[in-house]
Amino acid sequence: MNERQLLGLYEGILRCMLWEQGLMSMQAEGRISGFYHSGRGQEGVQVGAIAAMAPQDYLLYAHRGCGYMIARGMPMEVVYSDFLGMMEGSTRGIGAGIVHIAWPSLGILGQSGTLGGSFTIAVGAALSARIRKENKVVVCFFGDGTANRGTFHEAANAAGVWKLPIVWLCENNGWAVSTTFKESCAVSSIAERAAGYGMPGVVVDGQDSAAVHEATRVAIERARSGGGPTLIEALTCRFRGHYEGDAQEYRDRGELDRQRKDRDPVEIMAARIRSSVPNAEKELEAISERVKSEVAGAAEKAKSGTMPPRSRIYDYVYA
Amino acid sequence: MARAITYSEALTEALAEELDRDPTVFFMGEDIGYGGVFGFAHGLQKRFGAERVFNTPISETLIVGAGVGAAITGTRPVVELQFADFVAIAMDEIYNKAAKWRYMHGGQFSVPLVILAPEGAIGGAGPEHSQCPEALFWSAPGLYVLTPSSPADMKGLLKSAIRDPNPVLIMPHKALLNTSGEVPDGDHLVPLGQAAVCRAGSDVTVVAWSAMVPKALEAARQLKGEIDLEVVDPRGIRPFDFEAVLTSVRKTGRLVIAHEASVVGGPGAEVAAVVAEKAILHLEAPIRRIGAADIPIPQSSFLERWVIPQVDDIINAVRETSGKAVSAAKLA
Repeated sequence: MNERQLLGLYEGILRCMLWEQGLMSMQAEGRISGFYHSGRGQEGVQVGAIAAMAPQDYLLYAHRGCGYMIARGMPMEVVYSDFLGMMEGSTRGIGAGIVHIAWPSLGILGQSGTLGGSFTIAVGAALSARIRKENKVVVCFFGDGTANRGTFHEAANAAGVWKLPIVWLCENNGWAVSTTFKESCAVSSIAERAAGYGMPGVVVDGQDSAAVHEATRVAIERARSGGGPTLIEALTCRFRGHYEGDAQEYRDRGELDRQRKDRDPVEIMAARIRSSVPNAEKELEAISERVKSEVAGAAEKAKSGTMPPRSRIYDYVYA
Repeated sequence: MARAITYSEALTEALAEELDRDPTVFFMGEDIGYGGVFGFAHGLQKRFGAERVFNTPISETLIVGAGVGAAITGTRPVVELQFADFVAIAMDEIYNKAAKWRYMHGGQFSVPLVILAPEGAIGGAGPEHSQCPEALFWSAPGLYVLTPSSPADMKGLLKSAIRDPNPVLIMPHKALLNTSGEVPDGDHLVPLGQAAVCRAGSDVTVVAWSAMVPKALEAARQLKGEIDLEVVDPRGIRPFDFEAVLTSVRKTGRLVIAHEASVVGGPGAEVAAVVAEKAILHLEAPIRRIGAADIPIPQSSFLERWVIPQVDDIINAVRETSGKAVSAAKLA
C-alpha cells in the first residue's frame, strides 16, 4: 500500500471518529436519543473494507457506528439529519438510528432492524445483479453476535452453492451486547464456518485497516471474477457500550483500558504513517484540520434542517 | 373470447406470460425446477432457462429475504413458499422486510416482490399445511394480500401483482387448483383492491373469498327462490375494497362473512368492525361470521371436514340472518 493510500485510510478513519464525536455532542444537547451503537474502535475495519469496493457495488452495513456510510461517501450532513429526524435525512424525516439510512446511488441498500435480516437481502441483491448481467459485488457487514442467526446459515449456504459475488464481512469485537463470543459460538472463529459453505474463510486484524483493505480487495476480486463468496472475520474492539448509556459493567476494566490504549485504529494508522511517510506530522495535521472543519460544517448544516409535518407519517407506505 | 382452463393452468399461464414479457421477472422456490409440488412452474425452466426459473435450498427465510433483496435492486422476483403455513418461518422477511423496507428507508426503494404461497385445507395435510393465514397480515401495512377464487382471477391478479411496484402475498387455494372456469384471452389483468360481485342479489350479502366463494355460490343456488344472495368477493384483504362491501350491505341490510380461517382472530373481524362503524344503521340483523372453529386443523381428513366451513354452514347463517323462518322440511 503506498503512502497516499495509507493517508487516505487515516483520513477515512478519522472522519468516522470525528463524525461520531459530533453525534455525541448532539446527544449531549438532547437533540437525539441514545439509540446509537457506537462504532468507536471498529472504524479501521469499515474504512479499509469499503475502500476496496468499486463504485457500482452494493453495501449492507451493520449497526456499529456510521463508519460504513461515511466511508462509502454519503454526505455527512445527511447522516446527521437522519438522526435528527429531519426532512433532509435519507429517510426524509422518518428518522434513523444506525439502521434504515440508505443511499441507493452509492449502492447503500439500507439495513434490517432485526439482526441478521440483511444476510438474505444480500443474497437477493447478488442474484439480481447476476440476472441483470451487471458486474456488482455485495459487501455485507455483520457482527459476531449476528452470525448466530439462522439467516446466516441459509444465506451463506445459498451464496456458496450459487457462487454468488458476496463478501461476508464479520466484525468480531467479542461482544454481543453483554454476551461474550466464547459463550455464544461453538467454534473458536467465525471464519472456520466458511468451510461448511464452500467458501474461503479469512481472519484478519481488524485494527490494521490496511490489512482489512487487502483481504477485502482479494475477496472482491475473487467474487467479481466468478469465484464466489468469501467470509472475512476482522478481529476488532468495541470501545464503548452497546448503546449510549450502557455502562458496560459486565466488562473487565483493565482489558477495556488496554484495548483503548493499544488497539485504537486511529493511533495504529497514525503510527504506521509516522514510520513510513515523509513529513508525516504535517500530513496528519493537515488531514485533521480539514476533516474537523468538514465535520463541523456538516453538523451545522444538519441542525438548520426542517422537521417533518404530521402528514409525513403516511408517506411511502406503498409505491 | 374466453377459454375454460383450470385454476392451476391459469396460474402457470400468468407466470409464463410475465416471464416472457419482462426479462427482470424470475421465479424461485423449492422444487420448482421440475415444475413444483403443485406444478405451478410446469415447463417454465425448460422455456426460460435455469437462470430465471430455479430451485432453492429448503430455506424459507432465504427465499423471501432474497426476494426482497432482488426486488429493491431492479428485478421483479416471484418466490414460492411451498405452503402458505410457511409464512410463519419467513415472517420477519415478509412482515418486517418486504412490507416495511420502502417505508423504513424513506421511500427510496420499491419492493416489486410476489410471494406465491398456496393456502387452505385439501384433505389430510394437517395443522401446518392447511391453514389460511391472511388474518396475520391485516397488521402488515406495506403489503398486499390476495386470495383468488377463480381461474380468471388467479391469472389476472397474479399478472397484476407481478407488475405492481409493491410486495404482494398471493395465496392460491389448494382445493381450487383443479377447478375450471372461463379466462379471457389476451393480456388479462385484474386490478388489485377491487372486489367482484360474483352474484347480484337483494336479500343477504355474503362476503366470501378464496375457496369460500364457490361454496357461497352453491349456497345461493340452493337458496334460490327462498333467499336471494349477493356474493361479494374482495379478492383478498389488502387492499380491501370496503366500498363494495358497504354498498352491498346498504342494499341488503344483512351480512354474512365467510372465510376458511378460524372466526376467532380471523380476517372477517376487521370487515365486521368496519361495517358496524360505517353502516350499522343499515343493518337489519346482527352480522354473522362463518369460519373454522378455534382449534388447529386435524390431520385426519375425516375430522378436517368438521373444522372447515361447508356450504350448509353458510346456508344456516344466511337463514338466521335473513330473519326468515327455517322450516323442518328445508333442513331435512
